[in-house]
Amino acid sequence: MSTGDTDSTAVLDAVRGSLDGVVMSTPVSQIVAAGRAHRRRRRLIKSAGGLAAVTALALAVPALDRSSTAPPEKRLSPQAGSAHVTVAFTLASHTDGTIHVTWNKNRYFQEHAGLQRALRHAGFPVLIKEGVFCRGPRDDGSLDPSGVGPGVARVMKGERKGNDTVAFVFTPSAMPAGKQLFIGYLSPSQLAVTHGNPGSVERLVSTGVPLTCTTQAPEPNPR
Amino acid sequence: MAVLRRVRDVTQSEFQDFYQAKRDMCLRSVLASVGDRALAEDLVAEAFTRAWVSWHTVRHHPAPSAWIVRTALNTRVSWWRRRRREVALESHLEVAATENGDAGLDVVLLAVLRRLPPRQREVIVFRVFLDLDTKTTAGVLGIAPGTVTAHLSRAVATLRDQLITVDHLEVGS
Repeated sequence: MSTGDTDSTAVLDAVRGSLDGVVMSTPVSQIVAAGRAHRRRRRLIKSAGGLAAVTALALAVPALDRSSTAPPEKRLSPQAGSAHVTVAFTLASHTDGTIHVTWNKNRYFQEHAGLQRALRHAGFPVLIKEGVFCRGPRDDGSLDPSGVGPGVARVMKGERKGNDTVAFVFTPSAMPAGKQLFIGYLSPSQLAVTHGNPGSVERLVSTGVPLTCTTQAPEPNPR
Repeated sequence: MAVLRRVRDVTQSEFQDFYQAKRDMCLRSVLASVGDRALAEDLVAEAFTRAWVSWHTVRHHPAPSAWIVRTALNTRVSWWRRRRREVALESHLEVAATENGDAGLDVVLLAVLRRLPPRQREVIVFRVFLDLDTKTTAGVLGIAPGTVTAHLSRAVATLRDQLITVDHLEVGS
């Protein structure tokens, strides 16, 4: 064995040994229980897929029937207690005017167009894109280290719920006039470049003006 | 019906054996990639959960432990809210890990490992932490065996340089 081989072995042994004391503390019973819950959810989701189709049909019929002179605010106003179920997320408009969305974390990438549509229907102005990042000519482009711009916390609050879901509360009434929430997800290739960090950018951008969009993921740039 | 139950019991037992045998090495592999002990455990637990759900498929994978690690790292991509917290912690990795007081975790070496280019780090993860051979690693990563060897060689060279520098700094400080 050459000196180089010995050196390499020593380096790799050091690397291997560096994490020797790290052990998994989750018991197998917890994994199995989570797996069973996962299966149950999958069955429910399949059922929910059918329900979503029915709900979409139910929503489409009144839309066709509505007079074109009806005020748009009326069409977009949240309906108390209504809930629209899709495969990737649930959206519920509450009587206090807030919109509660629960995402399935594993599928949010695939459903952002549907989410944008549902949020807009519920009265929350939002623009969601993947791999593209937009801002208006006078918008504050600064972002904190977690990829969030000024003012976003007032209109969108999030929390993690369990292992598979995250929940967000959107507050349309807190949205400044002439603004909308922009959510830009990093595309899979951008995630590769940044080693998976961060996943998305949120900022408030102007409505009614042309937005400048780029495929360059913005860097955190605190003021 | 009894036969079906017996088959289910056998696969359950097989999964449990697999979990007991591979969980720690999978955790270390994912930790080497994400740098956050708690996150790594969550991701690996999630990946094992999915493996349990699809065990009839995963058990036939050429390297089920590699499947776990790939799934855990892919899951990480979709855990965007969690990831944001990591971004904030990223630059304070050493401090965060030390504060966690995780015994058996060489924080300096972990930091050096995480500075490797992603492909080299992947090769280290599969070859060293999962103990896969070159051919299997190549198959899992979808690259040629020679490329695996080249990445491993470069990674070792970088690690050697970094570790020597760190040792010198420790001696000099």
